[in-house]
Amino acid sequence: MSSIFYDRLIVLEEIETEVKRVSRSSEERDELWGFVDEIVHHKIMGCILDKLPLGDHAEFLEKFQKAPYDEGLISFLTEKIGADIEEFIKTEVTNLKNELLKEI
Amino acid sequence: MKRSPAQTYQDIARDRIDAEFLRNKLKLKEFEVKKDFSKKYPYVEKFFAKKGIKLGQIRDYSAKILGASALTGTLLLAPPSTAGNLPLPTEIIEGIRKLGKNVSADVPQKLLFDLLAQALPERVRPLERGEEKYLEQLFERIVGIKSRAALEGEHLNTTYGLIGAEQHLKMYPGDGLFNHGPFSGSGMAPGLGAWGYFASSKAELTKSLEETERWYAVVQTLYLPDWNRRQPYLREWYKYRRVLIVNTLNGNAVVAAVADSGPAAWTGKHFGGSPEVMAALGGPDYKKGPVVVFFIDDPENKVPLGPVEYNKLNISKLSLTQI
Repeated sequence: MSSIFYDRLIVLEEIETEVKRVSRSSEERDELWGFVDEIVHHKIMGCILDKLPLGDHAEFLEKFQKAPYDEGLISFLTEKIGADIEEFIKTEVTNLKNELLKEI
Repeated sequence: MKRSPAQTYQDIARDRIDAEFLRNKLKLKEFEVKKDFSKKYPYVEKFFAKKGIKLGQIRDYSAKILGASALTGTLLLAPPSTAGNLPLPTEIIEGIRKLGKNVSADVPQKLLFDLLAQALPERVRPLERGEEKYLEQLFERIVGIKSRAALEGEHLNTTYGLIGAEQHLKMYPGDGLFNHGPFSGSGMAPGLGAWGYFASSKAELTKSLEETERWYAVVQTLYLPDWNRRQPYLREWYKYRRVLIVNTLNGNAVVAAVADSGPAAWTGKHFGGSPEVMAALGGPDYKKGPVVVFFIDDPENKVPLGPVEYNKLNISKLSLTQI
Protein backbone atom coordinates (compact mmCIF):
# COMPACT_ATOMS: atom_id res chain seq x y z
CA MET A 1 0.00 0.00 0.00
CA SER A 2 1.12 3.47 -0.64
CA SER A 3 0.31 4.27 2.97
CA ILE A 4 2.79 7.13 3.14
CA PHE A 5 2.86 9.62 0.31
CA TYR A 6 6.55 9.04 -0.45
CA ASP A 7 6.41 5.21 -0.41
CA ARG A 8 6.68 4.79 -4.17
CA LEU A 9 9.98 6.70 -4.11
CA ILE A 10 11.55 4.39 -1.55
CA VAL A 11 13.14 1.36 -3.14
CA LEU A 12 15.56 -0.46 -0.84
CA GLU A 13 15.39 -3.95 -2.30
CA GLU A 14 19.02 -4.78 -1.48
CA ILE A 15 18.34 -4.14 2.19
CA GLU A 16 15.28 -6.38 2.06
CA THR A 17 17.37 -9.14 0.50
CA GLU A 18 19.93 -8.85 3.27
CA VAL A 19 17.27 -8.94 5.98
CA LYS A 20 15.65 -11.99 4.38
CA ARG A 21 19.02 -13.71 4.16
CA VAL A 22 19.69 -13.60 7.88
CA SER A 23 16.17 -13.85 9.35
CA ARG A 24 15.31 -17.24 10.75
CA SER A 25 11.62 -16.53 11.23
CA SER A 26 9.01 -14.15 9.86
CA GLU A 27 8.81 -12.49 13.30
CA GLU A 28 12.54 -11.75 13.22
CA ARG A 29 12.22 -10.49 9.65
CA ASP A 30 9.30 -8.18 10.56
CA GLU A 31 11.26 -6.79 13.48
CA LEU A 32 14.26 -5.96 11.29
CA TRP A 33 11.99 -4.49 8.59
CA GLY A 34 10.49 -2.31 11.34
CA PHE A 35 13.88 -0.83 12.20
CA VAL A 36 14.47 0.07 8.56
CA ASP A 37 10.99 1.59 8.35
CA GLU A 38 11.69 3.88 11.32
CA ILE A 39 15.04 4.93 9.85
CA VAL A 40 13.37 5.71 6.50
CA HIS A 41 10.61 7.89 8.02
CA HIS A 42 13.05 9.99 10.03
CA LYS A 43 15.49 10.38 7.15
CA ILE A 44 12.83 11.35 4.61
CA MET A 45 11.05 13.72 6.97
CA GLY A 46 14.42 15.31 7.76
CA CYS A 47 15.16 15.68 4.04
CA ILE A 48 11.76 17.31 3.40
CA LEU A 49 12.07 19.74 6.31
CA ASP A 50 15.63 20.64 5.28
CA LYS A 51 14.35 21.75 1.87
CA LEU A 52 11.05 23.30 2.92
CA PRO A 53 11.14 26.95 4.03
CA LEU A 54 10.71 27.19 7.79
CA GLY A 55 7.54 29.26 7.41
CA ASP A 56 5.83 26.34 5.63
CA HIS A 57 6.70 23.64 8.16
CA ALA A 58 3.55 24.07 10.25
CA GLU A 59 1.22 23.87 7.25
CA PHE A 60 3.00 20.79 5.93
CA LEU A 61 2.89 19.02 9.30
CA GLU A 62 -0.85 19.70 9.61
CA LYS A 63 -1.51 18.32 6.14
CA PHE A 64 0.75 15.33 6.70
CA GLN A 65 -0.86 14.47 10.01
CA LYS A 66 -4.36 14.60 8.46
CA ALA A 67 -3.52 12.36 5.49
CA PRO A 68 -0.02 10.87 5.46
CA TYR A 69 -0.98 8.79 2.43
CA ASP A 70 -2.04 11.75 0.27
CA GLU A 71 0.20 11.92 -2.79
CA GLY A 72 -1.00 15.49 -3.29
CA LEU A 73 1.62 16.37 -0.68
CA ILE A 74 4.26 15.91 -3.38
CA SER A 75 2.75 18.77 -5.39
CA PHE A 76 2.39 20.89 -2.26
CA LEU A 77 6.05 20.39 -1.38
CA THR A 78 7.28 20.93 -4.92
CA GLU A 79 5.37 24.20 -5.09
CA LYS A 80 6.63 25.46 -1.73
CA ILE A 81 10.21 24.38 -2.30
CA GLY A 82 10.28 25.56 -5.89
CA ALA A 83 12.05 22.40 -7.01
CA ASP A 84 11.17 18.77 -7.58
CA ILE A 85 10.93 17.20 -4.11
CA GLU A 86 10.84 13.73 -5.68
CA GLU A 87 14.42 14.16 -6.82
CA PHE A 88 15.55 15.20 -3.33
CA ILE A 89 13.81 12.20 -1.78
CA LYS A 90 15.28 9.80 -4.34
CA THR A 91 18.77 11.15 -3.66
CA GLU A 92 18.22 10.77 0.09
CA VAL A 93 17.11 7.17 -0.45
CA THR A 94 20.18 6.38 -2.54
CA ASN A 95 22.42 7.86 0.16
CA LEU A 96 20.60 5.91 2.86
CA LYS A 97 20.87 2.68 0.88
CA ASN A 98 24.62 3.16 0.45
CA GLU A 99 25.03 4.04 4.12
CA LEU A 100 23.11 0.96 5.25
CA LEU A 101 24.84 -1.40 2.86
CA LYS A 102 28.21 -0.10 3.97
CA GLU A 103 27.36 -0.63 7.62
CA ILE A 104 25.76 -4.04 7.38
CA MET B 1 32.93 -31.87 -0.31
CA LYS B 2 30.30 -32.83 2.19
CA ARG B 3 31.12 -31.68 5.71
CA SER B 4 30.74 -33.73 8.82
CA PRO B 5 27.81 -32.94 11.14
CA ALA B 6 30.34 -31.69 13.66
CA GLN B 7 31.26 -28.90 11.24
CA THR B 8 27.72 -27.69 10.45
CA TYR B 9 27.55 -25.83 13.78
CA GLN B 10 29.73 -23.23 12.11
CA ASP B 11 26.92 -22.39 9.65
CA ILE B 12 24.38 -22.14 12.45
CA ALA B 13 26.69 -19.91 14.47
CA ARG B 14 27.40 -17.75 11.44
CA ASP B 15 23.67 -17.28 10.75
CA ARG B 16 23.05 -16.34 14.37
CA ILE B 17 25.89 -13.85 14.28
CA ASP B 18 24.55 -12.38 11.04
CA ALA B 19 21.06 -11.90 12.47
CA GLU B 20 22.35 -10.46 15.72
CA PHE B 21 24.86 -8.33 13.91
CA LEU B 22 22.22 -6.90 11.59
CA ARG B 23 19.78 -6.29 14.45
CA ASN B 24 22.42 -4.39 16.43
CA LYS B 25 23.52 -2.39 13.44
CA LEU B 26 19.98 -1.40 12.50
CA LYS B 27 19.05 -0.60 16.10
CA LEU B 28 22.08 1.61 16.45
CA LYS B 29 21.36 3.34 13.16
CA GLU B 30 17.73 3.87 14.15
CA PHE B 31 18.85 5.39 17.47
CA GLU B 32 21.30 7.75 15.76
CA VAL B 33 18.84 8.87 13.09
CA LYS B 34 16.12 9.56 15.67
CA LYS B 35 18.54 11.45 17.89
CA ASP B 36 19.73 13.64 15.01
CA PHE B 37 16.15 14.34 14.00
CA SER B 38 15.07 15.31 17.54
CA LYS B 39 18.05 17.60 17.88
CA LYS B 40 17.40 19.36 14.58
CA TYR B 41 13.60 19.46 14.70
CA PRO B 42 12.47 19.41 18.35
CA TYR B 43 9.24 21.26 17.46
CA VAL B 44 8.27 18.55 14.95
CA GLU B 45 8.65 15.90 17.60
CA LYS B 46 6.50 17.99 19.94
CA PHE B 47 3.88 18.44 17.22
CA PHE B 48 3.58 14.70 16.68
CA ALA B 49 3.64 13.95 20.42
CA LYS B 50 0.75 16.40 20.94
CA LYS B 51 -1.26 14.51 18.33
CA GLY B 52 -0.34 11.16 19.89
CA ILE B 53 1.65 10.08 16.83
CA LYS B 54 5.15 8.62 16.66
CA LEU B 55 6.91 9.46 13.42
CA GLY B 56 8.57 6.04 13.36
CA GLN B 57 5.14 4.42 13.47
CA ILE B 58 3.47 6.74 10.97
CA ARG B 59 2.65 3.73 8.77
CA ASP B 60 0.36 2.22 11.43
CA TYR B 61 -1.31 5.58 11.92
CA SER B 62 -1.83 6.01 8.18
CA ALA B 63 -3.20 2.49 7.81
CA LYS B 64 -5.72 3.19 10.57
CA ILE B 65 -6.98 6.32 8.80
CA LEU B 66 -7.19 4.46 5.50
CA GLY B 67 -8.98 1.55 7.19
CA ALA B 68 -11.56 3.89 8.69
CA SER B 69 -11.97 5.62 5.32
CA ALA B 70 -12.57 2.28 3.63
CA LEU B 71 -15.45 1.65 6.04
CA THR B 72 -17.07 4.96 5.22
CA GLY B 73 -16.32 4.55 1.54
CA THR B 74 -14.22 7.65 1.03
CA LEU B 75 -10.67 8.72 1.60
CA LEU B 76 -10.24 11.85 3.70
CA LEU B 77 -8.41 13.45 0.83
CA ALA B 78 -9.58 11.33 -2.00
CA PRO B 79 -7.12 10.78 -4.83
CA PRO B 80 -8.40 11.69 -8.29
CA SER B 81 -11.30 9.37 -8.95
CA THR B 82 -11.77 7.64 -12.26
CA ALA B 83 -15.17 6.28 -11.18
CA GLY B 84 -17.10 8.92 -13.07
CA ASN B 85 -15.43 7.99 -16.36
CA LEU B 86 -15.96 4.25 -16.12
CA PRO B 87 -18.15 2.51 -18.68
CA LEU B 88 -21.56 1.69 -17.24
CA PRO B 89 -22.28 -1.95 -16.34
CA THR B 90 -24.70 -2.02 -19.28
CA GLU B 91 -21.84 -1.13 -21.59
CA ILE B 92 -19.77 -3.94 -20.13
CA ILE B 93 -22.62 -6.36 -20.67
CA GLU B 94 -22.93 -5.11 -24.23
CA GLY B 95 -19.21 -5.61 -24.74
CA ILE B 96 -19.42 -9.11 -23.35
CA ARG B 97 -22.52 -9.88 -25.42
CA LYS B 98 -20.58 -9.08 -28.55
CA LEU B 99 -18.07 -11.74 -27.65
CA GLY B 100 -20.49 -14.43 -28.64
CA LYS B 101 -20.33 -13.18 -32.22
CA ASN B 102 -16.61 -12.68 -32.27
CA VAL B 103 -14.33 -15.27 -33.75
CA SER B 104 -11.06 -14.23 -32.14
CA ALA B 105 -10.08 -16.45 -29.23
CA ASP B 106 -8.34 -13.74 -27.21
CA VAL B 107 -11.25 -11.32 -27.20
CA PRO B 108 -12.27 -11.72 -23.53
CA GLN B 109 -8.73 -10.92 -22.43
CA LYS B 110 -8.54 -7.98 -24.82
CA LEU B 111 -11.84 -6.69 -23.51
CA LEU B 112 -10.68 -7.02 -19.90
CA PHE B 113 -7.40 -5.34 -20.67
CA ASP B 114 -9.14 -2.42 -22.41
CA LEU B 115 -11.64 -1.97 -19.60
CA LEU B 116 -8.91 -2.13 -16.96
CA ALA B 117 -6.94 0.50 -18.85
CA GLN B 118 -9.97 2.79 -18.71
CA ALA B 119 -10.89 2.04 -15.12
CA LEU B 120 -7.56 2.14 -13.34
CA PRO B 121 -5.38 5.14 -12.60
CA GLU B 122 -2.00 5.23 -14.30
CA ARG B 123 -0.15 4.91 -11.01
CA VAL B 124 -0.98 2.23 -8.44
CA ARG B 125 -2.82 3.40 -5.32
CA PRO B 126 -5.53 2.17 -2.93
CA LEU B 127 -8.78 2.03 -4.89
CA GLU B 128 -12.05 3.56 -3.83
CA ARG B 129 -14.88 1.21 -2.96
CA GLY B 130 -16.77 2.10 -6.15
CA GLU B 131 -13.75 1.28 -8.28
CA GLU B 132 -13.32 -2.06 -6.55
CA LYS B 133 -17.00 -2.93 -7.03
CA TYR B 134 -16.63 -2.22 -10.72
CA LEU B 135 -13.60 -4.51 -11.00
CA GLU B 136 -15.43 -7.26 -9.10
CA GLN B 137 -18.10 -7.17 -11.82
CA LEU B 138 -15.50 -7.22 -14.58
CA PHE B 139 -13.69 -10.20 -13.15
CA GLU B 140 -16.85 -12.15 -12.49
CA ARG B 141 -18.28 -11.51 -15.94
CA ILE B 142 -15.13 -11.79 -18.04
CA VAL B 143 -12.68 -13.97 -16.10
CA GLY B 144 -15.53 -16.06 -14.72
CA ILE B 145 -14.31 -15.97 -11.13
CA LYS B 146 -16.23 -14.48 -8.25
CA SER B 147 -13.76 -12.38 -6.32
CA ARG B 148 -14.14 -9.65 -3.77
CA ALA B 149 -11.94 -6.76 -2.59
CA ALA B 150 -13.50 -7.20 0.85
CA LEU B 151 -14.47 -10.66 2.02
CA GLU B 152 -16.00 -11.54 5.39
CA GLY B 153 -15.12 -8.03 6.52
CA GLU B 154 -11.43 -8.38 5.63
CA HIS B 155 -9.71 -6.04 3.19
CA LEU B 156 -6.08 -5.63 2.22
CA ASN B 157 -4.53 -2.21 2.67
CA THR B 158 -4.43 -1.93 -1.07
CA THR B 159 -5.87 -4.05 -3.87
CA TYR B 160 -4.03 -2.31 -6.71
CA GLY B 161 -0.27 -2.37 -6.36
CA LEU B 162 3.02 -3.66 -7.65
CA ILE B 163 3.85 -7.34 -7.44
CA GLY B 164 7.46 -8.54 -7.23
CA ALA B 165 9.10 -11.90 -7.86
CA GLU B 166 9.72 -14.10 -4.83
CA GLN B 167 11.79 -17.26 -4.46
CA HIS B 168 10.49 -20.74 -3.69
CA LEU B 169 9.51 -21.52 -0.11
CA LYS B 170 10.74 -24.58 1.74
CA MET B 171 7.84 -27.01 1.91
CA TYR B 172 9.24 -29.24 4.66
CA PRO B 173 12.53 -29.62 6.61
CA GLY B 174 15.18 -30.75 4.16
CA ASP B 175 13.33 -29.50 1.07
CA GLY B 176 15.61 -28.50 -1.80
CA LEU B 177 15.40 -26.80 -5.16
CA PHE B 178 15.35 -30.18 -6.91
CA ASN B 179 11.68 -30.45 -5.82
CA HIS B 180 10.65 -27.24 -7.49
CA GLY B 181 10.57 -28.22 -11.13
CA PRO B 182 11.39 -26.00 -14.06
CA PHE B 183 11.45 -22.85 -11.94
CA SER B 184 14.23 -24.00 -9.62
CA GLY B 185 16.49 -21.31 -11.10
CA SER B 186 14.61 -18.71 -9.06
CA GLY B 187 16.24 -20.05 -5.92
CA MET B 188 14.96 -20.87 -2.47
CA ALA B 189 14.10 -18.24 0.16
CA PRO B 190 16.60 -18.56 3.02
CA GLY B 191 13.88 -18.25 5.65
CA LEU B 192 10.44 -19.82 5.95
CA GLY B 193 7.15 -18.29 4.88
CA ALA B 194 5.04 -16.52 7.51
CA TRP B 195 3.19 -19.79 8.22
CA GLY B 196 6.34 -21.91 8.46
CA TYR B 197 6.78 -25.19 6.63
CA PHE B 198 3.83 -26.41 4.57
CA ALA B 199 4.30 -29.89 6.08
CA SER B 200 6.38 -31.20 8.95
CA SER B 201 8.01 -33.85 6.75
CA LYS B 202 8.17 -35.00 3.15
CA ALA B 203 5.86 -37.88 4.00
CA GLU B 204 3.19 -35.44 5.15
CA LEU B 205 3.39 -33.22 2.11
CA THR B 206 0.17 -33.59 0.15
CA LYS B 207 -0.40 -32.78 -3.50
CA SER B 208 -2.58 -29.88 -2.40
CA LEU B 209 0.19 -28.37 -0.22
CA GLU B 210 2.67 -28.81 -3.05
CA GLU B 211 0.28 -26.87 -5.31
CA THR B 212 -0.09 -24.21 -2.63
CA GLU B 213 3.66 -23.59 -2.64
CA ARG B 214 3.78 -23.63 -6.43
CA TRP B 215 1.06 -20.97 -6.70
CA TYR B 216 1.74 -18.88 -3.63
CA ALA B 217 1.20 -15.16 -3.15
CA VAL B 218 2.64 -12.70 -0.65
CA VAL B 219 0.47 -9.95 0.83
CA GLN B 220 1.31 -7.28 3.40
CA THR B 221 -0.55 -8.70 6.37
CA LEU B 222 2.09 -7.20 8.66
CA TYR B 223 0.84 -3.70 7.80
CA LEU B 224 -2.85 -4.40 8.39
CA PRO B 225 -4.03 -1.86 10.97
CA ASP B 226 -5.55 -4.53 13.22
CA TRP B 227 -3.06 -7.33 12.56
CA ASN B 228 -1.69 -7.47 16.10
CA ARG B 229 -4.99 -6.77 17.83
CA ARG B 230 -6.97 -9.50 16.06
CA GLN B 231 -4.68 -12.47 16.54
CA PRO B 232 -4.90 -15.41 16.13
CA TYR B 233 -8.04 -14.95 14.00
CA LEU B 234 -6.38 -12.96 11.20
CA ARG B 235 -3.41 -15.29 11.02
CA GLU B 236 -5.72 -18.24 10.41
CA TRP B 237 -7.95 -16.28 8.06
CA TYR B 238 -5.08 -15.33 5.78
CA LYS B 239 -3.32 -18.69 5.83
CA TYR B 240 -3.48 -20.08 2.27
CA ARG B 241 -6.33 -17.64 1.52
CA ARG B 242 -7.06 -17.82 -2.19
CA VAL B 243 -6.68 -14.65 -4.20
CA LEU B 244 -7.22 -13.68 -7.80
CA ILE B 245 -4.24 -11.79 -9.22
CA VAL B 246 -4.79 -9.92 -12.47
CA ASN B 247 -1.93 -8.34 -14.40
CA THR B 248 -3.43 -5.01 -15.40
CA LEU B 249 -1.04 -4.59 -18.33
CA ASN B 250 -2.03 -7.75 -20.20
CA GLY B 251 -5.10 -9.20 -18.45
CA ASN B 252 -3.37 -12.44 -17.42
CA ALA B 253 -5.03 -13.88 -14.32
CA VAL B 254 -3.83 -16.38 -11.71
CA VAL B 255 -5.48 -17.92 -8.67
CA ALA B 256 -2.91 -18.07 -5.87
CA ALA B 257 -2.79 -18.92 -2.16
CA VAL B 258 -1.38 -16.52 0.43
CA ALA B 259 1.64 -18.22 2.01
CA ASP B 260 3.90 -15.40 3.15
CA SER B 261 3.76 -11.87 4.48
CA GLY B 262 5.47 -8.94 2.79
CA PRO B 263 7.12 -7.35 0.95
CA ALA B 264 8.55 -4.59 3.15
CA ALA B 265 6.85 -1.27 2.44
CA TRP B 266 10.16 0.38 1.54
CA THR B 267 10.74 -1.86 -1.48
CA GLY B 268 8.24 -0.04 -3.67
CA LYS B 269 6.22 -3.28 -3.95
CA HIS B 270 2.91 -4.32 -2.41
CA PHE B 271 2.58 -8.01 -3.27
CA GLY B 272 4.78 -10.96 -4.10
CA GLY B 273 4.36 -13.99 -6.29
CA SER B 274 6.05 -17.38 -6.52
CA PRO B 275 8.19 -18.01 -9.63
CA GLU B 276 5.26 -19.88 -11.19
CA VAL B 277 2.78 -17.10 -10.40
CA MET B 278 5.07 -14.48 -11.90
CA ALA B 279 5.66 -16.54 -15.05
CA ALA B 280 1.92 -17.00 -15.50
CA LEU B 281 1.31 -13.28 -15.04
CA GLY B 282 3.98 -11.98 -17.35
CA GLY B 283 6.28 -14.65 -18.73
CA PRO B 284 9.63 -16.06 -17.60
CA ASP B 285 11.37 -12.69 -17.28
CA TYR B 286 8.57 -10.89 -15.48
CA LYS B 287 9.90 -9.52 -12.17
CA LYS B 288 7.65 -6.63 -11.22
CA GLY B 289 4.46 -4.98 -12.41
CA PRO B 290 1.02 -3.61 -11.53
CA VAL B 291 -1.71 -6.05 -10.50
CA VAL B 292 -5.10 -6.14 -8.85
CA VAL B 293 -5.46 -8.64 -5.99
CA PHE B 294 -8.92 -9.69 -4.77
CA PHE B 295 -10.03 -12.51 -2.46
CA ILE B 296 -11.73 -15.43 -4.16
CA ASP B 297 -15.31 -15.79 -2.96
CA ASP B 298 -15.38 -19.58 -2.92
CA PRO B 299 -16.22 -21.02 0.52
CA GLU B 300 -15.64 -24.58 -0.69
CA ASN B 301 -12.26 -23.87 -2.28
CA LYS B 302 -13.40 -25.32 -5.60
CA VAL B 303 -11.57 -22.80 -7.79
CA PRO B 304 -8.24 -24.46 -8.65
CA LEU B 305 -4.91 -22.75 -8.11
CA GLY B 306 -2.96 -21.64 -11.16
CA PRO B 307 -3.47 -19.60 -14.33
CA VAL B 308 -7.04 -18.80 -15.37
CA GLU B 309 -7.41 -19.44 -19.06
CA TYR B 310 -10.62 -17.52 -19.40
CA ASN B 311 -10.35 -17.05 -23.15
CA LYS B 312 -11.05 -20.77 -23.45
CA LEU B 313 -13.39 -21.00 -20.49
CA ASN B 314 -15.76 -18.19 -21.07
CA ILE B 315 -16.83 -17.79 -24.63
CA SER B 316 -19.53 -20.41 -24.59
CA LYS B 317 -20.57 -19.49 -21.05
CA LEU B 318 -20.87 -15.83 -21.99
CA SER B 319 -22.98 -16.68 -24.99
CA LEU B 320 -25.33 -18.51 -22.70
CA THR B 321 -25.55 -15.64 -20.24
CA GLN B 322 -26.38 -13.00 -22.81
CA ILE B 323 -29.34 -10.86 -21.97
